[in-house]
Amino acid sequence: MRLLDKLQILADSAKYDVSCSSSGSNRANKKGQLGNAAIAGICHSWSDDGRCISLLKVLFSNCCIYDCKYCVNRISNDIRRASFTPDELCALTIEFYRRNYIEGLFLSSAVIKSPDYTMELMIETLRKLRYEHKFNGYIHIKSIPGADLSLVYQAGLLADRMSVNIELPSIQGLKLLAPQKDHQSIIRPMSYLKEQIQGSSELTIYKKRQMFVPAGQTTQLIVGATKDSDLTILNLTQNLYDRYKLKRVYYSAYVPVNADSNLPAITTSPPLLREHRIYQADWLLRFYGFRAEELLDESHSNFDIRVDPKCDWALRNLDKFPVEINKAPPEMLMRVPGIGYKMAEKIVRARRIAPLSYEDLKRMRVVLKRARYFITCQGKYYGGIDIDTEDLYPVLSEEKPPKGIPGQIFMFGSTG
Amino acid sequence: MIYVTDGTFEGILTAVFEAYRNKEEPEGIMTGDWFQTSLDFNVRTIGTCQEKADRVYKAIIEKMSQEVLETIYKAWLSEYHDIGTAIYRYVRIGLKLGRNVISFIQNPDVRLINDLSMKVSKEAHLFTGILRFNKLKNGIYYARMEPDNNIVMLIADHFAERLSDQPWIIHDAKRNFSALFDTRQVVYTTDDIMIPADYKNDSEFEILWKKYFKAISIESRKNPRLQRSFMPVRYWRNLTEMQR
Repeated sequence: MRLLDKLQILADSAKYDVSCSSSGSNRANKKGQLGNAAIAGICHSWSDDGRCISLLKVLFSNCCIYDCKYCVNRISNDIRRASFTPDELCALTIEFYRRNYIEGLFLSSAVIKSPDYTMELMIETLRKLRYEHKFNGYIHIKSIPGADLSLVYQAGLLADRMSVNIELPSIQGLKLLAPQKDHQSIIRPMSYLKEQIQGSSELTIYKKRQMFVPAGQTTQLIVGATKDSDLTILNLTQNLYDRYKLKRVYYSAYVPVNADSNLPAITTSPPLLREHRIYQADWLLRFYGFRAEELLDESHSNFDIRVDPKCDWALRNLDKFPVEINKAPPEMLMRVPGIGYKMAEKIVRARRIAPLSYEDLKRMRVVLKRARYFITCQGKYYGGIDIDTEDLYPVLSEEKPPKGIPGQIFMFGSTG
Repeated sequence: MIYVTDGTFEGILTAVFEAYRNKEEPEGIMTGDWFQTSLDFNVRTIGTCQEKADRVYKAIIEKMSQEVLETIYKAWLSEYHDIGTAIYRYVRIGLKLGRNVISFIQNPDVRLINDLSMKVSKEAHLFTGILRFNKLKNGIYYARMEPDNNIVMLIADHFAERLSDQPWIIHDAKRNFSALFDTRQVVYTTDDIMIPADYKNDSEFEILWKKYFKAISIESRKNPRLQRSFMPVRYWRNLTEMQR
């Protein structure tokens, strides 16, 4: 098969994978070698669907021995199959990189023969890139569930980022839809990676650091293939950040590709807005100091589709508002609906120089559409209506779903 | 009083120096060619002086900060029509507020320079991603660009570090300004660059890249508006994947 056809098939099979981020690593260039990593990550293009292209995102192979019900590459599906050789993948990565098409490689795979066999082929590719081609660009590799931990270790020494897909938010869901993958085969490599990453940063105190996945580990899971609530998902997320020190959790609204009695009907449209709300909540956990239990509980176990999670929280905590823009601590400013953490920082720095008026906020381009109901400026309230849930909810809720949800995308199952 | 300069960064800083030395508060610091049409003001032509510019340059770093200097310099790269006046006003506030000038965004003069600087930084960052090299027959990698702002100098170091083992040329075709890299150092030039007309002829990897670009997109999520908001159409002409 021609390389062009392989690339077509294996990019097509990988496109539902969510992450394309190239951030978090500061791998340096070595004199006379190729490439480095940029800590903030770089987007190189945007495809016709508006998603950023940063890495060459392909499967090593889509010839799968598994039959996960939600996945397009499952063995029982009749689709074109292909596999790269390590040398073909190296040539693509290097030549694309030299022309500045990409930041590096994102390598995942279906399970060929066995998890170990698949992992060995992927590692061989990485080894050739790093040692034969002297490549210092960004590499993200997906760990294949069920692969031996010694292989996970070898991959970790070569990659910038690793991820193990959690796939579904609950053990029951996994049993039902991916019976060949067990919960342990996902959790074990995840907790192993966490220990190795911590261990390698402790080692730096004594000797020169041996890099082990410097950009950390991530995971992704499918939203809406099972009956799990937002609360289940958010608690899982909180747990992954707390216990496994994950850098990111990615979510993908389930798009039916296969008909099965255990799955939503094939005509169901993907719950994109629900996915969007979960992403918003995820940001609140990572950058805004919120805890999962503040956002959802047993009596309130799903997000309101019509208001964003921060607004939802504020409406249930009106006793904490309004806050004075010239006095409130930054952690409270960030909790005002419509004020992001970057804007909160700008406000804090600007008000040290001179007190801020409502007009100043407008000029500073603070989005006041929602914020004005939750703040005072030099003691004055500009909301116009009393702070009261019944009056506020209608003015804050969105009639139509937000337009174009950039950067994030659904997937219907990734292999491996 | 209007000061007229040659429009270079050093020229503008020289004018700032003169304003303070003459204890004058000029209404504006203009560039020569821009000013030709209006003659209602008193005009003083300021000759660029490296030494005077250096004094202002150092004063900005010492009394304000390195970050403030970089902000002003990047704003200058935007080629905004009244950049001299804008810089002068910013420096005046900076001499009162010191390093905090950059945070004083209630003030329109501060916001103007900050915004221009941000615009330039954003475009420079975008081009670290969307610059495309074509491999010429002689082995040199050639990238043609037509950015809004004068950003070649902001991105050259990034590529010198990243693509350190290959010779390359980054050519701003709008300004006829180029960065040349021979695997050892970067040199800047305004000389004409001779490039074979057929440099865009598809090599194997250009075809593969276009194929990848099409394959990675999800048809049912097609969203050209979103795509254009990240990657404006005016840049497409130099983007390999956007060529038919």
